[in-house]
Amino acid sequence: MTELLAILQLARNDFSYFFRTKWLMAVLLSLNLSDMLVVALVYKQIIPISKINYFQFFVPAVVVMGMFVAALDTGRRIWLAIREGVIQYYLSLPISTPGIVVAYLLAGGLSAMVYSASLLLVALVVLPVATVGNTLLLLPFLFFLAMGLAGISAALAAVASTHGEYFFAYQQVVQILLLTLSTVYYPIEIIRNYLPTFLTSLVSANPLSLAAQAMRNTFLGNPVQPFSLLNILLASLPFTVIGAVAYLSALRTIQAKGKM
Amino acid sequence: MLDVLRLVWFDLKHEIYPPVWIGLQWFSFTIQIFIYGALISQLVNIPQIPNYQEFYAVGFVVMMTFDVGSHAGREFVEAAHEGRLPYLLSLPVSRSKLFLSIALKGGLELALMLMVPFAIILALIGNLTVLSVIAAAAALFCLGFGVAGLMLGLSFIAFKSSDLYVAVTTGLSALLIRFSTVLYPLVFLARASPGYDFVAKFSPLTYGADLVHLALGFDPSMLLNPTIAVAALTALAVSTLGLAVFLLGRLVEGVKSG
Repeated sequence: MTELLAILQLARNDFSYFFRTKWLMAVLLSLNLSDMLVVALVYKQIIPISKINYFQFFVPAVVVMGMFVAALDTGRRIWLAIREGVIQYYLSLPISTPGIVVAYLLAGGLSAMVYSASLLLVALVVLPVATVGNTLLLLPFLFFLAMGLAGISAALAAVASTHGEYFFAYQQVVQILLLTLSTVYYPIEIIRNYLPTFLTSLVSANPLSLAAQAMRNTFLGNPVQPFSLLNILLASLPFTVIGAVAYLSALRTIQAKGKM
Repeated sequence: MLDVLRLVWFDLKHEIYPPVWIGLQWFSFTIQIFIYGALISQLVNIPQIPNYQEFYAVGFVVMMTFDVGSHAGREFVEAAHEGRLPYLLSLPVSRSKLFLSIALKGGLELALMLMVPFAIILALIGNLTVLSVIAAAAALFCLGFGVAGLMLGLSFIAFKSSDLYVAVTTGLSALLIRFSTVLYPLVFLARASPGYDFVAKFSPLTYGADLVHLALGFDPSMLLNPTIAVAALTALAVSTLGLAVFLLGRLVEGVKSG
């Protein structure tokens, strides 16, 4: 019980730090809202409606994109804690080392969820859905996805250690690859016509593609498919586990050697 | 002049050893053009722009220029925040040489970043004259200096709060890019929502992007009047750099960044 309380307190601390970072909020909001209200609208004008209604296609995906970018910030917070020695303080707290890992992943998942929920509200205003209940049903599964994405970021922070330039480089590479090789920006039919089969399979299995597609379906008023929810869970799980193991081993190294 | 070169090298070597940032920019460009650009161009249909991938590639280079210019401005504030600037100010080098070295470093950094992407664009578009290539490069440099000057001009915010400065400049950057003709011609901004085109005319990127697109042979009917674009870009570079020098001359001496 004490351990659980400690985990929740640490998670709350990290969660509030995310929302107190003014510059980050400015970046995220200006990027995501302008993607929704400017880019999606303009592309709707230059992409024939006979091919796709791009506004309807892209706005739900921006919610997923926002969640992804917010979840990735977990890595920056872990990297900062390692670089500035705050991690030594955390290790001295009456909380187990796996508890610290769980707290960070929980906070990462939760902050990404809360942030993307605010984008979802905007999306619901500009693109009303037939059944809001379906969209709400997606949220717990998106939370798992956000934890998985936070896990990727945690793994990057653990690998980069105190080298800031490498951490931000890894983060940007992962961000570009995961977003570009997904169906966030374009439908899978277009990808199939252009990319080789193995890359198309990767795009289909990409958790961002799965989440974006599920989100689009709910906006179209289609019932949520249990199979798609299961897919999101299965695609997120490996990232969460890899991130947790990488961060845990980084913490164990710090415990043993005093540094990474 | 040797002092200036030494100062330029002092700052530039951090970008080159290791060349993480430069490599990353080249990597982003390649992925964005050959995956995102290629795929989105399968969807886009603009009669005046038969190949949207090329239009997007040029726009992406303009965005990179903007990114490098704003980075130069932010780096200056960071230097003040971390104590490097007071060190530079204590050197036996005149203020004018110091500002010249900052500008030169920005220009060299921009050249390094754009070398590969620009070459790829020229290969993609092909069939260009030397004059058009020089005009495009000159427009990019002018935009880069203008943006750096704008960010330096805004640095007075940083002397109150560096957190607020980063929030303002990064938020502003995202909006300046979206409300510009970097990714789409002005006429479609107007069609998307009344007033968007009016806002876009305040973005320096609109003038930079249209000028570079024009120099690289895109249909002028989709672009702004080049005379206005040249005037706007020159005015931006001269005024913001002038303002930055004026403000910095009064702000940096003995002031600590918050």
